[in-house]
Amino acid sequence: MIAIGPVSCAVLLLIAAGWTWRMTDCQSARRTATAFASLAVAIAVVCLVAQSMQEPGLGASTLRIAPEGLLGLAPLVTCIAGLTAVALASVADHPPRTLSRILLLFAVALLFLSFDNLVVLFLLWSLSAGIAYTELKSRGDLNGCARLFARYHVPSVLLFGFGALALALGWPGLGVVSMLLAIGVREAVLPAHSWFPRFVEQAPMGIVVAFSATQLGVYAKTRLLAENLSAGAGQSLAAIGAATAVTAAALGLVQVKPRRALAYLVISQTGLVAFGLENRSVVAFSGGLLVLSVLALAVSGFAMTLSALLARRGDLTLETPGGTFARTPRLAVAFLLLGFSTVGFPLTLGFVAEDLLVQGSVAEFPLLGLSLIVATALNGMTVMRAFFTLFSGSDQHEGEMDLVPREKAALSLVMATLLLGGIFPRLVVGLQARSAEGRSITSQPAQYELPERFAPPTQKKAH
Amino acid sequence: MFQATMLVLVIGLPFCAVFFLGVPAWFGVKMSEETVARIVGGTFILVTLAALALTGCVIVDEHHAKDIDLGSFYSVGEYSFKLTLVGDGLSATFAAFSAILVGVIGVFSRRYLHREPGFFRFYFLLTLFGAGVLTVVLAGNLDLVFFGWELVGVTSALLIAFFHERKKPVEHALRAFLTYRICDVGLLGAAVWLHHKAAATAMVASPDAPWIGFAAPSSERDTLLIALLLLWASMGKAAQMPLGGWLPRAMEGPTPSSAIFYGAISIHLGPYLLLRAGPLIESSAVASAAVVGVGALTAIHAALVGRVQTDIKSSLAYASMAQVGLIFVEIGLGWRLIPLIHIVGHAAVRSHQLLRSPSLLHDHHQLEQAMGGVPRLGGHLQRWIPLSSRARLYRYALERGGFDAILREHIVGGFLSVFTKLDNVERRVARALRSVSPRSNTKGDHS
Repeated sequence: MIAIGPVSCAVLLLIAAGWTWRMTDCQSARRTATAFASLAVAIAVVCLVAQSMQEPGLGASTLRIAPEGLLGLAPLVTCIAGLTAVALASVADHPPRTLSRILLLFAVALLFLSFDNLVVLFLLWSLSAGIAYTELKSRGDLNGCARLFARYHVPSVLLFGFGALALALGWPGLGVVSMLLAIGVREAVLPAHSWFPRFVEQAPMGIVVAFSATQLGVYAKTRLLAENLSAGAGQSLAAIGAATAVTAAALGLVQVKPRRALAYLVISQTGLVAFGLENRSVVAFSGGLLVLSVLALAVSGFAMTLSALLARRGDLTLETPGGTFARTPRLAVAFLLLGFSTVGFPLTLGFVAEDLLVQGSVAEFPLLGLSLIVATALNGMTVMRAFFTLFSGSDQHEGEMDLVPREKAALSLVMATLLLGGIFPRLVVGLQARSAEGRSITSQPAQYELPERFAPPTQKKAH
Repeated sequence: MFQATMLVLVIGLPFCAVFFLGVPAWFGVKMSEETVARIVGGTFILVTLAALALTGCVIVDEHHAKDIDLGSFYSVGEYSFKLTLVGDGLSATFAAFSAILVGVIGVFSRRYLHREPGFFRFYFLLTLFGAGVLTVVLAGNLDLVFFGWELVGVTSALLIAFFHERKKPVEHALRAFLTYRICDVGLLGAAVWLHHKAAATAMVASPDAPWIGFAAPSSERDTLLIALLLLWASMGKAAQMPLGGWLPRAMEGPTPSSAIFYGAISIHLGPYLLLRAGPLIESSAVASAAVVGVGALTAIHAALVGRVQTDIKSSLAYASMAQVGLIFVEIGLGWRLIPLIHIVGHAAVRSHQLLRSPSLLHDHHQLEQAMGGVPRLGGHLQRWIPLSSRARLYRYALERGGFDAILREHIVGGFLSVFTKLDNVERRVARALRSVSPRSNTKGDHS
């Protein structure tokens, strides 16, 4: 199956990447990248609408407009995250070639959503890690950050390749274990997470967003491994996901550097996604997928507002309140709102996602489900602490500017998506739930039903 | 139909006002102080009228309780987040006095905060707070209560840090927010467990109760667990012992917000939740005893500590805490109407006192002139305390019982210390992995 919508968006971003690569002026490069990313968002919207209007019976074709089923929203979410990453990229940190790599990473993510072929997925997986590594290396190793990245991601790529080979040769057990290890590293699941805080601290924020918000690992797991996992393995993964969510949330609370706090926030939310996707309950599964979408949107916005603040004020600390929002009220509002969306506050899509996740999971994993509540509470504290320490506690300012129109437009899009999703959740939830109840993740015609372990209890009884 | 319309208006109008204030502000449209105050004032006048009409309906209606099902906010599989509103004696009373008080604060603040740089921010947060409170009090299930509860917590913290250029208000706001979050775990936990055990969190009518409440699950153990989780949630908002240290600190916010949050509405949401949880609490003797115990200890603690406070707002904060403690005792004893009357009376008096607090010296002089001196209160109680214990109690009161220190140093500090150590281990691992030679290893982690 090939989804032509994301492929079109990816081609557009690849053209933009080639174009910006050759540019010398940072601001022109950012303008070009923003224009192309906006166009990609428009195409993704058109594809989503066209896909939703398409008759289900046409699913037998190998060509589709957009990925069907659970991944239907993913191209649009990826494109919006891409737009945010380039529109809010500071010129000091993001020269044209960095912008080009950001676009490349998003293009790779879109292609990853478009193909099912294991070889293609392996190549894209490797390419994504390679692009991020090249960026780190081009900056002179960043105090060992590139080396640390390589020490985690070279094994991850090899394991993914080996896993793909094993699956293709019909050794599912070996393939699944190998791929899970690769995905665990890529998604920075505890204890394979040590590269991630350092990466978020040192790499340009646009690269961080492009590499982490696209969540290739989760997509790979959802599409390739869902049917090969036993119930016992699923439970173990759920436990690892919950442990990651709680531990990372607590670690986020003790950080003194905002970038490290952000890193742990992302790890914690990824743990929630991992936990949700291992649930047999359709409710929790839908919640996990929704957390995934929220993670991509809200984290990209949250990270880029932090990046914009760092570009305006220089190095920042969370030790004591020492900022002011008098000069940058919109930046402060965006920071707070996107942070709250990430951790599931009311009136945002994050609230819906985390509610579904917790409510759905408690029947199958009562204690783990309740531990997620603790994780979300701790993450909320991290966001509020970051807001208060970065935007209040002082009347001194450096004459920094509030959001410029380009930044405001990109953030308005992200915030509007999250708020509208939070105020009118039925559209988004309905789309996901319909998929979770009746269709497969890969959308292949022969597998339209959910795998046995993802079927809701009533469906299981019927079988 | 009329009652349903009133319910929707009471809950919907503040959210509309939030939208009409927030969206233009984001796009740079500047509103004058007068416009902002008119939007908020007008909204809450309408909300008050609707809430009074609702109260009238409840008084006239024989059935006393009216649930309105607005459908589901969202649903997946068997789970549905129901938008159910309830109009009964408790919710109508709470909604009416909340709307009146928010309106009064809106009018008062127009002069009090005139030309204050945060004028718009104050009104925006006040409106969002009003929306959150009305959501809590009109919610027909625990999921919707949680929705409003979170909004109240956020607005409370943001208003404590209203004077954001000073460090202390910000630190105190963060402390209040952290307490709220820790306690919100109880509310969400109760909602989830109630869904799990009873398949729904909707309130049900009970023949011997004056209003509807959360239904108790069949198992006694689950009932106790849910009741204790709800008690934990209400302890945070109501500043009960040992979590109440944030309340006097929260007085750093502007006086009108202190009045409405910590004198009138926010602090009483804890008792409100317990009143709704009446059937659960009554089903378990342990839960009832816990509610009485927490309330009684808080009342004694706050009465003692409040007597040594040297500023009027802290003194009033402890007075509020003591009264809310007594309300907890009343609820734990199984009373229903007395706590409600106590809440309304206390909210009115305390918010008035807080609003008058900036004029304290003036009032004091007037009282002194009129009476030839200000009477010393509490002397009759002091006589009963042995001389040998007075110094110890005085120290206890000065140190606020030492609870703040215990929480900060041992509980929160201990928790943070464990994870700081874990973070250091993680840094060492990362440093070891990224070093190739001893030379590069010496570069170290400077972050």
